[in-house]
Amino acid sequence: MFEALFRYPRSTFERGEIVFTAGWPEWLVPLLAVLGVAIIVSFLVRSRKRAASRQLLIIGVLQTALLALLLWVLRLPALETEKLREGENAVALLLDTSASMRYGTERARIDDARRGLEMVVAGDGLDLKLRRYEFDQLPRPVDAWSAGDPSGTETSIAATVGRVLDESRFEPLAAIVLASDGADTAGGISEAELAEIASYGVPVHTIGAGREIMPEDLELSDVQVPDRALAGSIVAARLRIRHDSGGTARVRVHAGDRLLAAQNVELDAGNGTTVAWLDIELFERGPQELEFTLEAVDGEQEQRNNRRSALVDVQDEDYRILYFEGEPRWEYKFLRRAIDGDEGLQLVSLLRVSPNKYYRQGIESADELADGFPSTREELFAYDALIIGSVEAALLTAEQQRMLADFVAERGGSLLFTGGLHGLGNGGWGQSLLADALPARLPPLESPSFFRRRATVRPTPQGLATRMLRLAESADDNLEAWRGLPEVADYQLIGDLKPAARTLLVGDNGIDEFPLFVNQPYGRGQSYLLATAGTWRWQMSLPAEDQRHETFWRQLLRSLVASSPQPSRLTATGLPGGGIALRAEFRDASFAPLDEVRVAAVVSRADGASWSVPLAMSDAERGVYTGELDPGESGTYYAEAVAAREDSAVASARSSLHLDVGQAEHFGIRRNATTLMRLAEATGGQYLAEPSPGQLVDALRYSGSGITDLEYRPLWNLPAVLLLLLMIKSAEWLLRRRWSTI
Amino acid sequence: MHRIAPTVLTAFLLAAALAAAVRAQAPGEQALAEPRRAVEAPGEFQFARLAYSANSYGRGRGWGWGRRQMWQTDWPDAEHHFVKGVGRLTRVDAATDGHVLTALDANIFDYPWIYAVEVGYWQLSDAEAAQLREYLLRGGFLVVDDFHGTFEWAGFMASLERIFPDRPVVDIPAGHEVFHAVYDLDQRIQIPSRMFIYSGVTWERDGYTPHWRGIFDDNGRLMVAINFNMDIGDAWEHADWPDYPENMTALAYRFGVNYLIYTMTH
Repeated sequence: MFEALFRYPRSTFERGEIVFTAGWPEWLVPLLAVLGVAIIVSFLVRSRKRAASRQLLIIGVLQTALLALLLWVLRLPALETEKLREGENAVALLLDTSASMRYGTERARIDDARRGLEMVVAGDGLDLKLRRYEFDQLPRPVDAWSAGDPSGTETSIAATVGRVLDESRFEPLAAIVLASDGADTAGGISEAELAEIASYGVPVHTIGAGREIMPEDLELSDVQVPDRALAGSIVAARLRIRHDSGGTARVRVHAGDRLLAAQNVELDAGNGTTVAWLDIELFERGPQELEFTLEAVDGEQEQRNNRRSALVDVQDEDYRILYFEGEPRWEYKFLRRAIDGDEGLQLVSLLRVSPNKYYRQGIESADELADGFPSTREELFAYDALIIGSVEAALLTAEQQRMLADFVAERGGSLLFTGGLHGLGNGGWGQSLLADALPARLPPLESPSFFRRRATVRPTPQGLATRMLRLAESADDNLEAWRGLPEVADYQLIGDLKPAARTLLVGDNGIDEFPLFVNQPYGRGQSYLLATAGTWRWQMSLPAEDQRHETFWRQLLRSLVASSPQPSRLTATGLPGGGIALRAEFRDASFAPLDEVRVAAVVSRADGASWSVPLAMSDAERGVYTGELDPGESGTYYAEAVAAREDSAVASARSSLHLDVGQAEHFGIRRNATTLMRLAEATGGQYLAEPSPGQLVDALRYSGSGITDLEYRPLWNLPAVLLLLLMIKSAEWLLRRRWSTI
Repeated sequence: MHRIAPTVLTAFLLAAALAAAVRAQAPGEQALAEPRRAVEAPGEFQFARLAYSANSYGRGRGWGWGRRQMWQTDWPDAEHHFVKGVGRLTRVDAATDGHVLTALDANIFDYPWIYAVEVGYWQLSDAEAAQLREYLLRGGFLVVDDFHGTFEWAGFMASLERIFPDRPVVDIPAGHEVFHAVYDLDQRIQIPSRMFIYSGVTWERDGYTPHWRGIFDDNGRLMVAINFNMDIGDAWEHADWPDYPENMTALAYRFGVNYLIYTMTH
């Protein structure tokens, strides 16, 4: 319809500019316009006795419109477009030959891509040089498409397009046509890369290959487990499963030959991705390689994307938690009992028994805490988490309060306050130097907030979702376990919550509901408020064999320490191209960044191969050193970074990872139309979901890139113009007949 | 015959009702399975005293209307004085009034400290023994006091073995934490009853030597503290009596405070 009225495609109008070819002097148009308007006005004045004012106004408007249209036509308008100069431009055809292009039910998606590339540029009178490239990580110019199976181990669309544009700098390039499934396994196309590609001004047209929906395929897209864990602890693994149909998927986790966990996951049919959590109990110390496997579904063609590996370093050393308590109370006793025998957690406690006497438990030496609460950062920061019980803030000096805040914000430790007669608001913590770190604006000291009254404890939806409050494995059992807990017999009001706070447990005294367990991030760490000292009732009111009280405290304390960073940390991460990125962070005992050190890492593989990698100081972060290594093979790698000053080591850190080189092509095998559309839109190209013959001929001819000539297409004789002229004059004639003014 | 039948029937019905009541309160069954409201305590620590049935030898003290049960010995002055001492000497938020419970009282689980005297004469039923065992395994702490000599030890053990038939009673080592939690109690001095004022002897019956004994749980924590051949309760009770030796009262307070702080920390 558009072309019937306007003769040329819409895209031609979008690219072109309207110019007038009659060559009239600039003063002529206003003169003719004034003359025409004067004639129209004169006519209307003479007709005023035969028609009403409203009728004259309408006729005047129609005649003026006709005059304007006539003037426009008489100036001979034309559409100015840039047309490729015949025989002097090139088009780059890019064919994805990575391994993922091998997929397909009836024929491989690479066959469709080859055919599509040739099809869309085939057209009459299009005289362009065709430059053919095959690509995976980078483009390779070819005279003709290879016939073999695609086997590239990585797809990098951004690098490929960038390289082709760069190499074509001295050759007029009209456009790039890229055929791919869009599975960019080199980390995707960033906005910066997209902007750089667009800056060349060469349109990139994209042709999609493969299917976007693959109901017969399950994919374990991602597995996340903590880098390190305590021996004997349960770690929660987060799995992301890609699927295009509902049902149940079974996941198994092995460490070597030993089955560690198995679980059915319900796949949400209305959502292409399901996230599931899996608990794994880890016993053996040292690095453990966990193999996650999704059981294949019927007819599943590619099962390599059903497996992923992850490495967890099961720690030898204990985490140490300092518990500072201001009065002897049952919560203290039962908290200590709850984690008795929990290997990996060491609770060091300092209890104010009387105004002049402190009682210490769990200490490593007679000197530890001998002078009371730590007074230096080194001493305090040696602990991984802190618990402050029924203690008045005034018991600590201003410097100690600042250290507590820094413990969370700078050291990245976790701080848990529990309710009590002298705790939280009653202890003046709301007015302390630590107030900013707390997730609530505590009531003032003069407003008593601790009550020895009964309350039931209930987890919020957020609380039920968090691992630290899980009392049973399944969601239903967990809810039931919480519902069956006895009441506590004291609670404390904590005032208004801060914006970043989240409530995990609420208390209910039968009249009001109030937050009982809340937390918020603060700097590098987390702060928590548990506004009761009555969880010991769970232990005393339930049968001796019931483990809910122990489970609650063990998991809570493990969660507190799990995120606590060590002063020296090394992170090894697999890079999309098969390399390893190393990031070491070194801090001293007070967690101040170590700057003036030389850092080198030694990376070794199980077969004995090893590499020495110097790490360079980061410009962006103090105390951080980075480096990369490309070992080129899959396997388990162990890395140790050592920071040295004047030839003596001052700190070291270890890490490990499992590297899967070349496996990326078997993940994300569905067509990623989003990537292809983004690339086309950003460069002024078109995304062709279903290519058809000659589809790009016109787009290429008028692409505006390369060597072009100006082409003028007349517009005065458009059918739309003639039709408009006829309509205006007919309308005037019909109206004047009706009003009998003729 | 005409008059005997109703009597027998009544006795039978009473016995059945009593058996049903005891069964209803047996630990591990309804008494423990039913939801129970937590007790709102007037303080963090409230002194709880165990009320029990005495055996045939434990006839109690006094005569007529003033006759007292064995478990009532020293009550309520002993705890009244002691908790004030706790409040003065420690930072424990102690309730000023004590509380009395039977072993079958479901609320016993709200009082992790319980004290029993004259246990040479206590006679626990199976249900009471089972509930006390459960109480102790959950983390409760029992202090027994004021019994002396071979005869009362045998009476004590007869019921204690029903609580823990398989756990030994042992002498608490001198270096144990319970003797050092607050005060270092290195000397083992027999704390006498008030009869010492009249007789001049610190022992009763054939209990010449004091013993601090105990029963430990699987993790080595003391859960039953046994004050044998001594009367700490009397020393608390008569703290305000000028004739009772002040040093004995002070020592008794120290033992009591150590027991309390030990159980509030272990």
